[in-house]
Amino acid sequence: MSALQEQFVTEARELIRQATDDLIVLERDGASPERIDRVFRAFHTLKGSAGVVELPAMGIMLHAAEDLLASVRQGVLGGGPDIIDAALACLDQVSRWVDDFEASGALSAQAGEDGRILAQRLRSFLPAEANRQPPGSTASKSTQGIEARLPEWAARLIAAEHDAIASRLPKQASAAVAISYQPIAGCFYNGDDPLQLMRQVPNLLALRIEPREAFAPLADFDPYACNLRLQAICAADRDEIAGIFRLVPDQVHIASVPLDALAATPPDDGDAGVTLVRAVIEAQCELLRVSGRTDDFAGCTGAAARVAANALHHADRPQLADTVARAGAAALVQNDPGPLLAALEQARVELAGTRSTAAAEDGRGAANTAGRPAERVLRVSEAKIDALVNLAGELIVVKNALAHSAKVVEHELAGHEVAAAIRRDHDAIDRLLAELHGTVLQLRMVTVAQVFRSLSRLVRDVSRQLDKNVALVTRGETTEADKTIVDRLFEPLVHLVRNAVDHGIESPGQREAAGKPETATISIEASRIGDRFLIEVTDDGRGIDPAVVRRKASEKRLLPADELAVLADQQVIDLVFAPGFSTAAEVSDISGRGIGMDVVRTVIEQIGGRVSLASRLGTGTTVRLDLPMTIAMSRIMVVEAGGQLFGISMDAVTETVRVTPDRISRIKNNLGFVLRERIVPVVSLAELMKLPERAKEAAAARLVVVMEAAGRIAAFEVDAIRDRLDVVLKPMQGLLENARGYAGTTLLGDGQILLVLDVKEILP
Amino acid sequence: MTVRCGDDGVIVLGGVCSVEDAEPLLQMLQTMPAAQVDWRPCHQLHTAVLQLVLASGRVLVGPCGDAWVAQWLGPKLPQNGAGG
Repeated sequence: MSALQEQFVTEARELIRQATDDLIVLERDGASPERIDRVFRAFHTLKGSAGVVELPAMGIMLHAAEDLLASVRQGVLGGGPDIIDAALACLDQVSRWVDDFEASGALSAQAGEDGRILAQRLRSFLPAEANRQPPGSTASKSTQGIEARLPEWAARLIAAEHDAIASRLPKQASAAVAISYQPIAGCFYNGDDPLQLMRQVPNLLALRIEPREAFAPLADFDPYACNLRLQAICAADRDEIAGIFRLVPDQVHIASVPLDALAATPPDDGDAGVTLVRAVIEAQCELLRVSGRTDDFAGCTGAAARVAANALHHADRPQLADTVARAGAAALVQNDPGPLLAALEQARVELAGTRSTAAAEDGRGAANTAGRPAERVLRVSEAKIDALVNLAGELIVVKNALAHSAKVVEHELAGHEVAAAIRRDHDAIDRLLAELHGTVLQLRMVTVAQVFRSLSRLVRDVSRQLDKNVALVTRGETTEADKTIVDRLFEPLVHLVRNAVDHGIESPGQREAAGKPETATISIEASRIGDRFLIEVTDDGRGIDPAVVRRKASEKRLLPADELAVLADQQVIDLVFAPGFSTAAEVSDISGRGIGMDVVRTVIEQIGGRVSLASRLGTGTTVRLDLPMTIAMSRIMVVEAGGQLFGISMDAVTETVRVTPDRISRIKNNLGFVLRERIVPVVSLAELMKLPERAKEAAAARLVVVMEAAGRIAAFEVDAIRDRLDVVLKPMQGLLENARGYAGTTLLGDGQILLVLDVKEILP
Repeated sequence: MTVRCGDDGVIVLGGVCSVEDAEPLLQMLQTMPAAQVDWRPCHQLHTAVLQLVLASGRVLVGPCGDAWVAQWLGPKLPQNGAGG
């Protein structure tokens, strides 16, 4: 896949996401002109990029969508749910196509037909008259406006050469075009001479030849690589020009120029001049928005500031020109087009308004924008960051090896001084490495915003399907957590939200009868407390009835009747997380597809989190997910049993105690001892792992590690406790992937592989 | 050969400057870092040669013998119009 295609995939996904969000907000909050504009622009850009990567089916369908949105924008159509549905369906289709395109570089054979059907559906909303125009023509007024708007490079050239153009413009001229010709780098090898083509252009009015990228110094100059951009304005017919450049259609861009834009009106005299200056400024804004993503940021910003300032001087607005020039300098210093964009926007607004705006405000605007903190965002592939995380992890292993070496030197070679030196270095490396690891892990931190956004689409679709009115409120979207955690969160959140809409929220009739507002609210709130990351999903629905849960649980024999009878209501409600439990009276399409809350609990616990639930009958339910922020690092205790080493997560270990044999007694079928008035069952870890027990003196005290997990307490009897380590836990892989009882593996300092136990799984 | 070293250390472009002249011109520009370029004798300029002239940033002795180039590009380049 070429760089261009990769960029298309990335940008298309961003545009789809943005347009989806805007469509949903648009439906919820009504159609504000800015929001419709944003949606329209997203579709328009998508259509444009579909053309660039040559996906005609996508282009045709998006064209229909664009026409539909144009009608909404013009107020011809309202933005009703059906139209939003169609637009969302269109985005879904585009999203599928982008996936196909990424996977195979092309669309499926079915794409043309799919696109046509969707385009037809989109067009069915349009009034008959707009429908008569075939796709591909500029169908609606607004698209015409966009197509006909002067491209920014043309506006720049016209502004720069205005006087010369006006003096050369033949009186009988009937048409004018702007030409931008970017010969490919290897064009000389094809025998092309771009100048020769330009020489054939009739009635040339202005010509600019400039390097596309800054010229290399002569020492490294490649004389046979064409690095030029040739731009021209001429008073000629578009077809005639297209004929001249017919052999290089992919390298040339021809745009019609309205003759009045070239006319000999002095720009500082009358409205036409101001309009042109405004057009120039708008063109610079456009240019900056695009160049924010290119390498030639400095070049583009500098040029944009100069052109805009010149144009403003021309329009006799020296203060504005100064402001823009200063903002340009600030933008260059901060490496962020923000200040310049703000100043240009201000200039544009002022030019549009009256001339009475106080000049003093110019300076203040610039100061404000210049003071804005600049943040540059880098797009780095996830694989690169993971490689970095892995490397930092390996370094930690090596660091642990250093501690081992110090021990060897001290005990086996009796080199106490050397050992002390190694230990000092070890401590220094330890400190730096902790910092490095922390920083690297920060790179993997992402906000939950994207997950939350996809949920608003889900709430909308599900509630529409069920004829319920539900508003989704999200808070704390900017809360960050490790990417793995955020990614894994999606599935459980989908379950929770679906459940809430389907089972939690009452039908509108029931809500009315209960005296509740017609529109139900589901809120999702993310927050950070210490090093924990919390998510709460709350609905104001009917709540969970303990009596119903109790009945269901006994029907499904989740617990023996006598145990069930003594459970408190809160514990009963907790049973909804039990495997095989579902409170829905019937299996619906929305939730209850055999996957229930137990899946939520499993997934959350896999990533080191806890789920809890609070519900009040009639008022609503809150599910709370308590998660770690990172999962890459864990602290373990290394124990020895049956001649082997095992790791136990320190999260589970509550204490280690020596117990004399007389304290251990047989309780039912198990051994156990009493620790602070609690009975703690004891198992020999060697026995559990089916390893030979080491012979012990009967009277010797036993070393036990007490652990608590999943609400249970138990102790392992071990032969020795070796170490406490920070390790990067690698999940079990290959044949061992499904081995139960292990949380993962890690490399020890001496190169041994350590198996880390999944305490919850093996606890008796 | 349409690229040659003239008197007073000036690089002279003459006649038809084709794409083949780009390489010798580049070498001459590299070996004569301060030389001006006299393009008056040149009556037809290839894009590759023009690109090199632009990239070099040298002072040009003009006007260019290629009238089209002289008209459209001449005025915008560092020029020693007096003729060296």
